[in-house]
Amino acid sequence: MQLEFGALSDKGCVRENNEDSYRAAPELNLFVLSDGMGGLACGEVASRLAVETIVEHCRKASATPSLPLTGLRIGGVSDATNRLASAIRVANSAIYNTAQGNTGERAMGATVVAVRLDGEKMSVAHVGDSRVYRLRGDEFTQLTRDHSFVAEEMRQGRMTAAEAGTSRLQNVLIRALGIDPTVEVDVSEEVFLENDTVLLCSDGLTRELSDTQIGAVLRETEEPQEAADRLIDLAKSAGGGDNITVLVVSPAAKLAGAFGRLGKWFKDSA
Amino acid sequence: MPKLVLKFENSVLKELPVGENEVSIGRSPENALMIDNPAVSHFHARVFNEEGRLMLEDFGSLNGTFVNGQRVKMVTLKPGDSVAIGKHTIVISDSRDLNGFAPNGSKPVQAAPKINETVMLDTKERRDFLQKVAAVGESAQVAPARLKIPTLIVLRGRTDQREYALNDKLTVIGKSAMATVKLKGWFAPKAAAQINRRDDQSYYIGGADKIPSVNGMPISQPKKLASGDVIDIAGIQLEFVYRD
Repeated sequence: MQLEFGALSDKGCVRENNEDSYRAAPELNLFVLSDGMGGLACGEVASRLAVETIVEHCRKASATPSLPLTGLRIGGVSDATNRLASAIRVANSAIYNTAQGNTGERAMGATVVAVRLDGEKMSVAHVGDSRVYRLRGDEFTQLTRDHSFVAEEMRQGRMTAAEAGTSRLQNVLIRALGIDPTVEVDVSEEVFLENDTVLLCSDGLTRELSDTQIGAVLRETEEPQEAADRLIDLAKSAGGGDNITVLVVSPAAKLAGAFGRLGKWFKDSA
Repeated sequence: MPKLVLKFENSVLKELPVGENEVSIGRSPENALMIDNPAVSHFHARVFNEEGRLMLEDFGSLNGTFVNGQRVKMVTLKPGDSVAIGKHTIVISDSRDLNGFAPNGSKPVQAAPKINETVMLDTKERRDFLQKVAAVGESAQVAPARLKIPTLIVLRGRTDQREYALNDKLTVIGKSAMATVKLKGWFAPKAAAQINRRDDQSYYIGGADKIPSVNGMPISQPKKLASGDVIDIAGIQLEFVYRD
């Protein structure tokens, strides 16, 4: 399947620098996004290291398929998904070693979400509270589960969504890259259909806009780059309290798709 | 007031109330709850109050901290929970004041600062930071202001609903699919105006494609909304109210 994507990263309205990073490797249908943390621009270093290491590892593996996996093979998922997890583990080591090498006690870490598409198969891997969503028709679904303290409290039934939304602890992570020598990567596999749209984003987006609002923007905006631009714009209008990064991926428009869109325009204008 | 009951095998060794200050737990005598045992790290864990909950945090101890058999890093505690540190057990007791913990002679609730930086469990920086957070403000029940729901009532004009509760940080009035107040009509702009919720929970109206009027006056900059304010924009009229 031919894909098209749009991406944008913005430091937002409050932060002095942008510690988010993203990379796309279109030849691999690979998309990666990372939100870094740590003082004195350590976050920038961490997130850049994350996305670059992951793309590099996947490119190497593509050229040399016999490249061993880093870490244990995860049962029940494909080689492609395992390769993504492996790449994230390599990134974790890179960030961890860089942090260890820093003089002073400055901790450095990053979240990561990575998506790789292969025809109708989608591999999703992540660590942290950046997210992957999918829009399918009217359904806008979060595909990843946040590795954050409040999300864990909600899963355990100790906090409601409303409490989580206003909690002062909502930025506390329970898993991130660069903190420990090894990291547990969450992976999942999804079917990717012809009219699906996939969104990768850092929490700077979801702190400002609700899922309903984000889904509506994606539904309404045909071109992925336009959708990415609009989401950043709206997130900044809402306050832009953190760095915001979005990556929108959808199947490339075909002729049938264009007529489909025309019909949709008539329907939406009623 | 919640109490920590320290036990070894079946004997109760000590009881310690958890008040406004945190209770640090470990082998070092500097801890509020000292456990003199080689299986316990010098500074092993702490129990503190956060937003009306009793919280436990493990300081990355060697042997770990277990709550009801599960190893934890940071977790909320409820009465009856059993915390295992080394060979010792700490039981949480006295449920009456656990939620909505209010010390005698409670001081007025202050809005505590939001944690804007993403922090990560386990680092020293985060521990220090959370210590500051725990020290700020009293634990609060749901603030009375939150029981009033900010609402827009449509007084005049074509919209998809008669009333809108404002739940989001950003509320768009326009024709866009992501607008909350959806305008009808071919010429309605995608985003005519917007209402922002700020950190202090106040609401400000601002223009987008059009400039709204509030109580008959066009605004020159985002304007704070008060209950009863009437908004005119893109051919419709709305009243902003706080509803019970």
